[in-house]
Amino acid sequence: MNHDEAAKLLGPYQDGELDLANCIKLEEHLANCPSCQQKLTQEKELVGLIQSETPRFKPSPFLKTRIQAALREEKSAATSMPWWKQLSWGWTYSSAVCAVMVIVAVGFFSMQGIPQLDQEAVANHVRSLQASHLMDVASTDQHTVKPWFAGRLDYSPQVVDLTPSGYPLIGGRLDVLNKRNVAAIIYQRRKHYINLFIWPSDTGSLSEKLYNQNGYHALGWTKSGMNYLAVSELGEKEFREFVTMIQDQTLDSRPGE
Amino acid sequence: MEQHRDAGDNLNQPDFEQIFLPHLDAAYNLARWLLRNDQDAEDAVQEAYMRAHKAFARFRGGDGKAWFMTILRNVCYTMIKKLRSHETPEPFDEEIHQSMGESEMQEAFRQKANAESLHLALEKLPNEFREIIVLHDLEGLAYKEIADVVGIPMGTVMSRLARARGRLRTELVAANAKESLS
Repeated sequence: MNHDEAAKLLGPYQDGELDLANCIKLEEHLANCPSCQQKLTQEKELVGLIQSETPRFKPSPFLKTRIQAALREEKSAATSMPWWKQLSWGWTYSSAVCAVMVIVAVGFFSMQGIPQLDQEAVANHVRSLQASHLMDVASTDQHTVKPWFAGRLDYSPQVVDLTPSGYPLIGGRLDVLNKRNVAAIIYQRRKHYINLFIWPSDTGSLSEKLYNQNGYHALGWTKSGMNYLAVSELGEKEFREFVTMIQDQTLDSRPGE
Repeated sequence: MEQHRDAGDNLNQPDFEQIFLPHLDAAYNLARWLLRNDQDAEDAVQEAYMRAHKAFARFRGGDGKAWFMTILRNVCYTMIKKLRSHETPEPFDEEIHQSMGESEMQEAFRQKANAESLHLALEKLPNEFREIIVLHDLEGLAYKEIADVVGIPMGTVMSRLARARGRLRTELVAANAKESLS
């Protein structure tokens, strides 16, 4: 390897981009060429300086958010795509998990011979825990939740707020139980949710019996012409405490009158 | 068989954002060095993400950095054409370069090389030199990746990088010489 050839390869050599054969030839030349040795040192020095001293510009923290928002908009605008292709992977995954939970819960309950109504209520409860399905009306105010059902149901459920007792009311939802529309009132206890289904007892009343299966509790009762069915993954003690409080605070008169 | 994908078909492959958002900082750095303005750089990066998203069907896998930087670079050059057609680069100061001996140059270079002088010197380089230094020395792209991004043969990457470094060294020395004259 002559001197000119060697000088050209000093950069790639120092960048680790030179193939083995040329490496060996260059190192042979370097051993006997002080001028190339000096050039290599200078090259290393310069590249070291560029890497250590040159400012690397950083984007503002908002740029990422802006781009993500723009991408989301772009995706939702792509309406020509079939809906199942538009689902993001995360969404599909969590839905799949929830669906499996519903199937497992329902399957387990039916194996244990639990009445169909409870099975359905538990399935509704599990489904309600899917993102954005928990509530149709989000409010901690019973005077907001109760009127919300007017016009959506042919009866008016009593909405009790248990916030002072540590079971805050967080909203309401329209659900379907036993082929009829029912009110679902949602309460929260720490990270757990309680669905309280309420509907008129004209099609039959409920016997008060606790189902405690697979981590879920369901307990129904009938009071003043209304059926109540509470479902939650709460522990039994707290679940019973909740039920007792609801029973104590619902008025003996027919709700809505 | 050719694999078809589209923006929403994420069941078998990583999400668009998972592949490309990790290259946001590298992309911004290149855009900022080419466009020399925060706002233009941010706009270019966002535009590049939109274009990449549209072209995702043509992405053939890998870590995506070179593919994305290619798109970004094209966006940047389109913007440069629009924004800066009226600007002329500062002429290269041959006189200062030639009036100094090799050892003097090396000394001047050592004295002057700090963050500020490197910034100024790199800004003075023509875009084709500046981008190759940013891509290789700052963003750590390999010669092969740079060849893909810039669209030039490997041999040209090699020689252009050598020339770019030479020019940068000269700019550093020239800056120092000017300062000591004044």
